[in-house]
Amino acid sequence: MIVPLIARNTFREATRDRVVAGVVVAGVVVIIATQLLHSLALGEGFRLTVDLGLTTISVFGLLIVLLVGTSLVAKEIERRTIYNLLSRPIGRPSYLVGKWLGLTGTLWVVAGSIALALCLLLTFRGHGGTSWVVLEAAYMAGLELSVVTALAVLFSALSTPVLSALYTIGFYMVGQWSWDLRDFARQIPGGLGLTLEAVANLVPNFPIFNMRTLAAQGEAAPFYHVAVATIYALVYSGCVLALASAAFESRDFK
Amino acid sequence: MNRPAIPPWLARVIGCWATALVLGACAYALADTLARTLPRQHPLEELSYYPSGQRLGLVSLGHPETFADLAWLRAVQYYGEHRRSDMVFTKLYHVFDILTALSPHFVPAYVFGGFALAQEGAAFDRAEALMLKGMEANPTSGPLAFELGFLYYVKPGGRDLVHAGQYFEQSARMPDAPPSAGRFAAYVRQNAGDLAVARALWIGVAQNSGNAYLREIAEREIDKIDRALATGRSDLATHRLTTPVVVIGRQP
Repeated sequence: MIVPLIARNTFREATRDRVVAGVVVAGVVVIIATQLLHSLALGEGFRLTVDLGLTTISVFGLLIVLLVGTSLVAKEIERRTIYNLLSRPIGRPSYLVGKWLGLTGTLWVVAGSIALALCLLLTFRGHGGTSWVVLEAAYMAGLELSVVTALAVLFSALSTPVLSALYTIGFYMVGQWSWDLRDFARQIPGGLGLTLEAVANLVPNFPIFNMRTLAAQGEAAPFYHVAVATIYALVYSGCVLALASAAFESRDFK
Repeated sequence: MNRPAIPPWLARVIGCWATALVLGACAYALADTLARTLPRQHPLEELSYYPSGQRLGLVSLGHPETFADLAWLRAVQYYGEHRRSDMVFTKLYHVFDILTALSPHFVPAYVFGGFALAQEGAAFDRAEALMLKGMEANPTSGPLAFELGFLYYVKPGGRDLVHAGQYFEQSARMPDAPPSAGRFAAYVRQNAGDLAVARALWIGVAQNSGNAYLREIAEREIDKIDRALATGRSDLATHRLTTPVVVIGRQP
């Protein structure tokens, strides 16, 4: 029962943060602003709205992770509230998993709100039939953000907020390039190519979650793709949180 | 009292590491399998040595579609600016090349770019290259094959009926083809002198079209072709087509 309790408190704390509210408002404003570009898009207004809307979810979600997630643990250490928590019979892994669940929940609420606004706008524009596709792409963006949050929790447990943010951005970038890195590795013979291919498999493979291209064409991803992406997100986040727990267990707060 | 062999905190650390290793191995295997099996939305096989559009794709950090949208807005602005002023479109191909490298399935971009380059831009070879690039990325697109056929059909300075017929026919075979693709294919083949092929295509129109007027045209054309084949006079079945010129903008 400890994990849901910590998750609920983290969620409550994060949703009270002005950054999160600001991001949701900014996201909705961006989506509405895409309508101003309709007349310039030469009949491609739908595509423009869907693309920018889904990008808003990803980019603004990443912003929340960087502003809130990377200081999740560090803030508690700085305020010394962590001593109160860890002096009780609370396992350190439970503490980290609770933090991750709380912030991930916040991100899902943000992604859901922006996706809902996007669907309403599309319905208003006469493209209501594509709402399912947009929701699917938003779900995949939510999975991607869940993995990024796990990385942020890992770095937050190990380092200062600024360094955590830098490491998280670094992993986000490498993760986005993972499939290109794998293609690049295949062009290099020998050990270096194999090493690069192994690195490409180790970093988070974010292209798995990219449904934006299909959504812009009004097409949905097959169920298999969504299912394996969900499994991958859970397994990768679990692995990162286990590493974070191992590091956090070894950390001395005296 | 005996002390445990391993302190509890160390046991927990080992447990965490073991869990991380097991889940990490699963994630590694999954990533490897998925990268091989899932369809690629943005193929960047030779990423390091490719020109601007491909590099922009890397910089976009997983959002090439958004970059493509911005490029599309810029392309439309560029076209509009020069259409209203000097009618010189030197960068038009470059803009559409970047745009379609970022979004290879953006069919309207190939069509708009192709026709703008061929007509106002007076650069048919570049228009053809852009449309063929589109066909390579979207080999099953009926609308794109139809538009490419049409590009050849209205080629400024002289219609290319052979290629036009080829792409109209390809379009007609696709499930998303415009309803007129079969009729265009038959008409163009007939006027290119491929009477036997044209006859087969007209038979397809006569049998499959839901439009009585089109069926009537198809039967009339089949009669004409039959007469031409029987007498050996192909001129009985072909029309004298005009040479297309660009009415708006510069002459090629």
